[in-house]
Amino acid sequence: MTFNFSMQAIDQVINSAAKTCYMSAGSISVPIVFRGPNGAAAGVAAQHSQCFAAWYGHCPGLKVVSPWSSEDAKGLLKASIRDDNPVVMLESELLYGVPFEMSEQAQSKDFVIPIGKAKIERQGTHVTLVAHSRPVGHCMEAAAVLAKEGVECEVINLRTIRPMDIETVEASVAKTNHLVTVEGGWPQFGVGAEICARIMEGPAFNYLDAPAVRVTGADVPMPYAKILEDNSLPQVKDIVFAVKKALNI
Amino acid sequence: MRKMLLAALSRVLQGPAAAGRTASRVMVASRNYGDFASEATFEIKPCDLHRLEKGPGTTAVMTREEGLQYYKTMQTIRRMELKSDQLYKQKIIRGFCHLYDGQEACCVGIEAAIKPTDHVITAYRAHGFTFTRGVSVREILTELTGRKGGCAKGKGGSMHMYTKNFYGGNGIVGAQVPLGAGVALACKYFGKNEICIALYGDGAANQLCTAHLSMTS
Repeated sequence: MTFNFSMQAIDQVINSAAKTCYMSAGSISVPIVFRGPNGAAAGVAAQHSQCFAAWYGHCPGLKVVSPWSSEDAKGLLKASIRDDNPVVMLESELLYGVPFEMSEQAQSKDFVIPIGKAKIERQGTHVTLVAHSRPVGHCMEAAAVLAKEGVECEVINLRTIRPMDIETVEASVAKTNHLVTVEGGWPQFGVGAEICARIMEGPAFNYLDAPAVRVTGADVPMPYAKILEDNSLPQVKDIVFAVKKALNI
Repeated sequence: MRKMLLAALSRVLQGPAAAGRTASRVMVASRNYGDFASEATFEIKPCDLHRLEKGPGTTAVMTREEGLQYYKTMQTIRRMELKSDQLYKQKIIRGFCHLYDGQEACCVGIEAAIKPTDHVITAYRAHGFTFTRGVSVREILTELTGRKGGCAKGKGGSMHMYTKNFYGGNGIVGAQVPLGAGVALACKYFGKNEICIALYGDGAANQLCTAHLSMTS
């Protein structure tokens, strides 16, 4: 079912799958893929809406991928199955029904996306938006809205949470000088927090003209009422607001 | 009285042709409260006992008033659940909506056997218990439709309804079993002679936390 139920088996995912290769000094490999829907769905309330990117991304020994488009889903799943390590694939229930364009190459039989490589979905010059899974779509919409006001956003689809492709983000920040991270999960100890910490620790810090801004889910268990649920997740207007805050406009 | 009734019935069943009389109003059936029993006795199959000397009783007596009360409660739950079904199909209720129509006797029967000071915890199919534990139909339907007048102010939804001595409404299969055991431990600890009823199905029986519980308790 969803990754919310994985908490009942999280001992097996972490202690048995993630750590075994290390504990056996490489003699036992655990080539398994855990895939399922992650994060918010529609009206399923607190116990069925949590995002586990930060939880699983925290653990050495696991690889964690988070597809957005159809080609992400196909390429990452193939790569995950072919990988000898335990891989957690965090899909999104709300994206299952969304159609995406797929290139001829993406439709070919052996199309594989390397784990650990982010993709720049949209080129830009003024600000870097970094997201994974469904919020990438929101970032693309926000970029379209901001383009009308003359702000060109570069949108990076992380694709992999662990190992994170921070080099792509750093190169982008060196170009745009501003960073906004977007995620559906909770703010504390989240994916955005990790990105900001790594940018601060690396060379890209010198290129930042303003503090990085995080757009995250609200720091509450997911409420049931629609108006509350909609406002507990990052919306296009929240991303636009954060970009304007980072750019001070 | 009974002889009159039988006579009237036989006259009607013979039909108008047999009597050859002009049409007249015939009493078809008549009932009065004096005909009804004031209570019913039920035989209960004895339970298997483990480390107990005496088990629960093998007969139960239900008075007419109690029976009518149970029936009314069950009917209320049935109507509420059927309406929730309609609302769910109209997408006015969102997310999950696990209905209790058909099982009303379970919650009503359990509530009849326990006191309001006892404790109940169950899985996600909780609307029936929410009602028998004291939440009004209005509060339940308000909660299901995500309004702030609901028993959880619209923040919980179908699976997360709570009230005094009722601990939900739990979404993850099997999660309520260790919680119920904990409440029971608290009952024992406080020494107030209260019990906790924890409900789960065969699916939850497979869950690890339930298995751990059965092995350690």
